[in-house]
Amino acid sequence: MDVPLYLRPRVEPPLASLLGAAPFLHSLVDALGSPLNVLLLETVAENAARFRAVYRRHRLTGRIYFAHKANRSSALVRRLAAEDPAAVGIDVASLEELRHALGCGFTGDRVMATGPKDAEFLWLAARVGATVNLDSPGELDRLAGLVRGHGLGRVRVLARLSGFESADGKNGAGTRLLSRRSRFGTPVRDADALWAALERHADAVELVGLAYHLDTTGLEEKARALEQCVLLMDACRRRGLAPRAVDIGGGFGVGYVADAGEWQRWTTALSEAVLGGRPPLTWRGHGYGLRNEGGTVRGTMALYPGHRPHAGPGYLDELLSLPAPVLGREPGTLLLEHLHDLHIEPGRSLVDQCGLSLARVLDVRSTGEEPGAHLVRLGMNAGDVSLEEHGVLMDPVLLPRGDARQDDGREGGEGAGAPVGVHLVGNLCLEADLITRRLVFLPRLPRAGDVLAFVNTAGYAMDFHAHQAQRQPSARTVAVEREGDSWRWCPDEDYWPITHPGGTPA
Amino acid sequence: MRYDSITDAIGNTPLVRIDPAVHGLRNIDLYAKLEMLNPFGSVKDRPAWHMARPHLEGAAGGEGTVVELSSGNTAKALALLAGLHGLKFKSVTNRMRVPEIKELLLLLGAEIEELPGRSECLDPTDTDDPLTHFHQALTEPGSTYLHTDQYFNPRNVEAHAAGTGPEIVKDLDGRAPDWFVACVGTAGSSTGVARVLREHDPDVRVLGLVADKSDFVPGIRTIDEVHQVGLFDPATYDTIEAVTSGEAIDGMLTLIRRCGLLSGPTGGAAYQGAVRYLRDADEALEGTGRRETAVFIVCDRAESYLSYVRARRPELLGRTARVPALAALTEEDVRADARSVGVEEARRWIAESDPRPLVVDMRSPHAYAALHIEGSVNIVDELFEELVRGGLPFSKRTPVLLACPVGEKSLRHAALLTRMGHPDVRSLAGGIVAWRDAGAPLVRE
Repeated sequence: MDVPLYLRPRVEPPLASLLGAAPFLHSLVDALGSPLNVLLLETVAENAARFRAVYRRHRLTGRIYFAHKANRSSALVRRLAAEDPAAVGIDVASLEELRHALGCGFTGDRVMATGPKDAEFLWLAARVGATVNLDSPGELDRLAGLVRGHGLGRVRVLARLSGFESADGKNGAGTRLLSRRSRFGTPVRDADALWAALERHADAVELVGLAYHLDTTGLEEKARALEQCVLLMDACRRRGLAPRAVDIGGGFGVGYVADAGEWQRWTTALSEAVLGGRPPLTWRGHGYGLRNEGGTVRGTMALYPGHRPHAGPGYLDELLSLPAPVLGREPGTLLLEHLHDLHIEPGRSLVDQCGLSLARVLDVRSTGEEPGAHLVRLGMNAGDVSLEEHGVLMDPVLLPRGDARQDDGREGGEGAGAPVGVHLVGNLCLEADLITRRLVFLPRLPRAGDVLAFVNTAGYAMDFHAHQAQRQPSARTVAVEREGDSWRWCPDEDYWPITHPGGTPA
Repeated sequence: MRYDSITDAIGNTPLVRIDPAVHGLRNIDLYAKLEMLNPFGSVKDRPAWHMARPHLEGAAGGEGTVVELSSGNTAKALALLAGLHGLKFKSVTNRMRVPEIKELLLLLGAEIEELPGRSECLDPTDTDDPLTHFHQALTEPGSTYLHTDQYFNPRNVEAHAAGTGPEIVKDLDGRAPDWFVACVGTAGSSTGVARVLREHDPDVRVLGLVADKSDFVPGIRTIDEVHQVGLFDPATYDTIEAVTSGEAIDGMLTLIRRCGLLSGPTGGAAYQGAVRYLRDADEALEGTGRRETAVFIVCDRAESYLSYVRARRPELLGRTARVPALAALTEEDVRADARSVGVEEARRWIAESDPRPLVVDMRSPHAYAALHIEGSVNIVDELFEELVRGGLPFSKRTPVLLACPVGEKSLRHAALLTRMGHPDVRSLAGGIVAWRDAGAPLVRE
């Protein structure tokens, strides 16, 4: 076998030191079972501060709304509720998320209600003074009806827009930048009808800004949408509406894999394997969207870009610094000089480096087919750590049972074994229950009783698809905090920002 | 030479020997095949014409649109060829990565369609790639698209097998070179030329150059992208090596500054990759008394790549030498020389001073039009900097209030004007944002 094709995760402190505390993590799994989710609350606050630093660099005001759907944890939401109310809010996309956010300490004025909303969700959002990010003109009508019918106060709304490519008239002849179609928001070509509806419902709602969220990693598409919003804000003002904020949604991204070279070697090897030039890198030769048509690779690699040099706050900074297509100024400058606030709704990037998912190794055996490859069965299933579901590929970290120093395979000590390719399979009696379809390389063959730590899972990977199929246990979640040289923990539901994990007031 | 059509001038490009004092190979003669001297400026003129010709001659003057996945030289050649035949041309591309080429294509009358970026919230079950829609549009009933399909069209290879390859053999007095070095884009030139050379001499060794995966070299694909090219056959190449943008620019500089060849970065990459790779072969020949020859392709010219160079080696374009006066101001200079006034004081000053101060709003015209201080004039910061470089743009007798969004840029400019001798220039503290927050009046245009 050639050099093991590692995809080692990016691990920064304090997550790195938590991984160094293998006996502590083993004791947690012993006590609370496998799988187990672990959250680091200080990191989420630090991430918010990094986004704030980008705002300061561009002299911008506005709020960071945590996209709650990235993680259902109470501890994360409570920790963010403790941040400066003027700087940090929460984006909720369901009635239960709204109730949870309120219960965790967010006041209604810090809440942004997004996505399509049913009547109960709209009523509670309006009742507590949340800002309603309108998904459609129909939703506006329903909201206005509720406000009038139930004597609610005037509700602050943002208008979510979509379909920016059709609004490209001014963008110079000859060039058309395409975007993926979205099922959310009001298409820009229907904006006039939306403004008219907002004027009609002026007694019930107050337009405070415009919003968009584009599902793309492409900066140019986002810069164009942002600029279109600045132009449309002006159109609103001409009609006498007074919006002040542009909400650019989320999608700032996370870099999962530490080393660009590892990511590049692996993706190249995938193409080669699809062409048959090397043994498969995946279970049953899965191509992650690539296929072999007569010796040529066709299709698109359906994988999250594992290594990203600019992600999270760095990506926002880049977006704000890009020249805008029509007005020529950078989006950051445009917002500033038009006196607009900037709102963002980061999910994944705000919980970067905030979480771990732990699984106990239950069984290790040879595949019998691929030489050297093994099946490693874990005490979790594909629903518990939905990395594969989101196209995210990275190696778990092996936490050996017992004395880590003697057993550390990467040091290549006596009896430590050599790097080995393994298939990670789940605890369901289903062929399809693979934690990842990728052949994962580990520094040595794990043994039953070891723990594998999937890092950086707090964004969408922790419990997004968790279920209790086959009556297997779902992961419990704990919040951990460093205390001197040791670590303390408490159940997610018991964490409050005023107490140390463990329950004693700070 | 007299021609009926510019297309007759395609091909028959010179083969020029590179001075050994430049490349340093003692036992290998290195030749450059100057495809940049084709009439539309690149190695793509041949395949573009050969692929498009059957379409164009059939559809001339009609409704059709020639369409190709290209953001570079193929698009350029096809745009010109389409225009020549009274047809339109549309380029579909992931991203136009070199701005001059995009502008040039627009100048040539091309229509450009840029495909969307990758999804951030990935759905692995969505295997639909943007190109699917492209191919569906091509085959819709009633479609008037003429797709040249450069990555799969065998006529791309034939153009080089019929032209470029035989010309090299003829210019080397009927012999094939020992080495052929080609950058791999569509694989058309390397495949076509290699086929002809090997017919003459099966021992010809072919070096294919691809772009380093984390890098971008115009006209060259990375190893992964090469696998998506229908014309690419690994058996064409004895060796495939990667080159970086740094090497491309180094090679381009050598060809330009020492060989009189106005090559772009693709040709530079071919030269640099060739010399790097041939060094070992050259040493092995030492003392054997044998000489070998090698040929590489200079794909296109330098002029369209100034921004590419600027982004990577700004010093080559004199970028660091020019220090604007404003940037030379230190924080202490600004503190010492700039005067600022708060919103209340500024409002009083405007209302009571005689002569009334000139209020200069340094934001962009669009922001100014949306909301501004009544009676202010708009000179956007970039323009203001240019103006000031030529001297004070207004009389020393007129007091001036500078306003920007938050009072930072205006403070620096106030310091600069004071240094230039203006007796009374002030910066609005906190800028237009503070003005608005204080509830002071702003008007719309």
